Amino acid sequence: MQMSLRRLSRVTLLAGSLALCAAAQAAVSPLELVGPVAEYKLYVSENIRTLVADTRAFTDAVKAGDIDKAKTLFPSARMSYERIEPVAELFSDLDSAIDSRADDHEKAEKDPGFGGFHRLEYALWEERSTDAVKPVADKLMADVLELQQRLAGLTFPPEKVVGGAAVLMEEVAATKISGEEDRYSHTDLWDFQANFEGAYKIVELLRPLVQREDAAFLEKTDANFKTVFDTLAKYREGEQGFQTYDKLSDRDRKLLAARVNTLAEDLSKLRGMLGLD
Amino acid sequence: MASNESSRPAGPCPALPGRRRVLGGAAALGTALAAWQAAPREARAQSAQPDGQVTNAPHNAHTRDRVPFLGEHQAGVVTPRPSAGMIASFYVLAEDRTALERMFRTLTERIAFLTQGGPVPELDPRLPPADSGIVGPVVPPDGLTITVSVGASLFDDRYGLAQARPARLQRMQAHPNDALDASLCHGDLSIQFCANTPDTNIHALRDIIKTLPDLLVLHWKQEGSVPPIPEVPGAPPESARNFLGFRDGSANPDGRDAAAMDRIVWVGADDTDEPRWAHGGTYQAVRIIRNFVERWDRTPLQEQEAIIGRKKASGAPLDRGSSEHDVPDYAGDPEGKRTPLDAHIRLANPRTPASDANLILRRPFNYSNGVTKSGQLDMGLLFICYQADLERGFIAVQRRLDGEPLEEYIKPVGGGFFFTLPGVRDAQDWLGRGLMAATSRA
Repeated sequence: MQMSLRRLSRVTLLAGSLALCAAAQAAVSPLELVGPVAEYKLYVSENIRTLVADTRAFTDAVKAGDIDKAKTLFPSARMSYERIEPVAELFSDLDSAIDSRADDHEKAEKDPGFGGFHRLEYALWEERSTDAVKPVADKLMADVLELQQRLAGLTFPPEKVVGGAAVLMEEVAATKISGEEDRYSHTDLWDFQANFEGAYKIVELLRPLVQREDAAFLEKTDANFKTVFDTLAKYREGEQGFQTYDKLSDRDRKLLAARVNTLAEDLSKLRGMLGLD
Repeated sequence: MASNESSRPAGPCPALPGRRRVLGGAAALGTALAAWQAAPREARAQSAQPDGQVTNAPHNAHTRDRVPFLGEHQAGVVTPRPSAGMIASFYVLAEDRTALERMFRTLTERIAFLTQGGPVPELDPRLPPADSGIVGPVVPPDGLTITVSVGASLFDDRYGLAQARPARLQRMQAHPNDALDASLCHGDLSIQFCANTPDTNIHALRDIIKTLPDLLVLHWKQEGSVPPIPEVPGAPPESARNFLGFRDGSANPDGRDAAAMDRIVWVGADDTDEPRWAHGGTYQAVRIIRNFVERWDRTPLQEQEAIIGRKKASGAPLDRGSSEHDVPDYAGDPEGKRTPLDAHIRLANPRTPASDANLILRRPFNYSNGVTKSGQLDMGLLFICYQADLERGFIAVQRRLDGEPLEEYIKPVGGGFFFTLPGVRDAQDWLGRGLMAATSRA
């Protein structure tokens, strides 16, 4: 009895693994990825253009001391960055300067190395003063422009593009689902939306290839994205905006966590499925 | 070395009152030393390992221990407790009954594999590996048991299970000394992992998390351990010590006594108000009980012993005998002159005919988590017990303990009540099948 059950579970596992092996070994020629990667590069450059414009408006408001306006602009300005985070992160010095959190720094909020979006968020929501952060605003603007320049000169590695979908889900699963990203403004749902959009874009660009390799995978992934977008849509406020993170029900937070974990688990197979090392 | 050891505790004695107690302590120490001397040769030879490299894996002779998975009851309840344990509590995210059934079936498959061991499938190296690999390419069973229990919240309106809810299943309520932390309490599902090594438990937990990301979201977990002791041929079995330094489990019912287990632990036909599907299951009570060990270590020995009701060194009752297996005579000590009336063991088990109904099977582990904000050790007892009737068992015992002197040194901070599902009987069966069948509308 015991043996037969063990055999049963092993057969199930083997069947699953054979299916995966078959998928991984099927030929997706590197040439087939050229189109999707080029399109992704366009997507990134559109987003960085928006990021530059939004960051300029945001940092101008900060420097002008217009706290209300700066607070309105903060969550939407971040979205273009969050959509393209997998490639933006390739420049770790800039990612740290633009998007690090207080706990990345030894002295947290008081650390002179703490800059970028979240330092300004802290000034707007907690300190309620922009007097001390005008140089931080200038530095953020300069870093975003630098990012634009470096991305323009970057040859996008296909494995980073394909792997980027999973990277975005890992980000959400590890540090965002808890609401610790935008801890002063509680505008986390904007970031979630942008991260999911960025991941879904990659799946969209690879759709014909994935469809050919594993249609069931695509169907499951689409369903999980749909649940995520539908869940977030319940918290829409205004044209583009969202309610604050604390409005997210416990039930929906767990639901999002489960879908994000599943997407992270499934999308982690995307590179192998498309034959990328 | 032995003479140094024996003279050290004797040193400060003359300065203390109560010479008889001191002598008693020395006698107990003598017994412990004798045991230490009787067995040590192999152990010393093992620990020497003159040829070993620093990072060679330590040896464990029990990695091939295998606890059968199939049976009327789940393993991990009356199974002798190994040295590493863990409770993980989950939210169940299944969207409907079909998904819930998939969860139970997949859990069953994974538990069958993990507890019996075997090779892990090899995948294309361009894919993430099928297994975390932390116990190697061939998973050793290592005495692993995985025990699945369901919380009261699983019987809410989501899956239509309410009509088949076990009669005594309820959400854990706070007792007066509790300071329950919501992030360490309750859950739709609890999974108990027990094995010879903590890595085996962690491997199994990671496997389940990886296999069921859409259906289970981790809520909290607590790991624990019990210290192994050397095997001394012919010596009576000893209970392990908790982080208060006392033996814990001396008066536990005998898990090998099937009749006693049927009466004390397993829900069965004589529990007439329980649903039929629940027969073969049991109630699991989990409590994360922090011990204030710095304060405890600064408490006089005789006070510690009076609070617990046992000799610390031997585990013997305060009124008689020299072994933890000696039975205290409370009837002969009605005023609590030898064993205080509010001693922990006397309150927990007054050993009257009536208190026989409140027996529980304890299966706790010691935990050590780090440092509190005050700079004190965050450690204590991962208390786990099983009983056929939660109210007559843990709840009744804990009510008797409420207000005990030990409370000054302990603080329950988490846990929950769960119903441990009946066992998986054969290759066609799966965990929760009876529950699902009992509530199926088809």
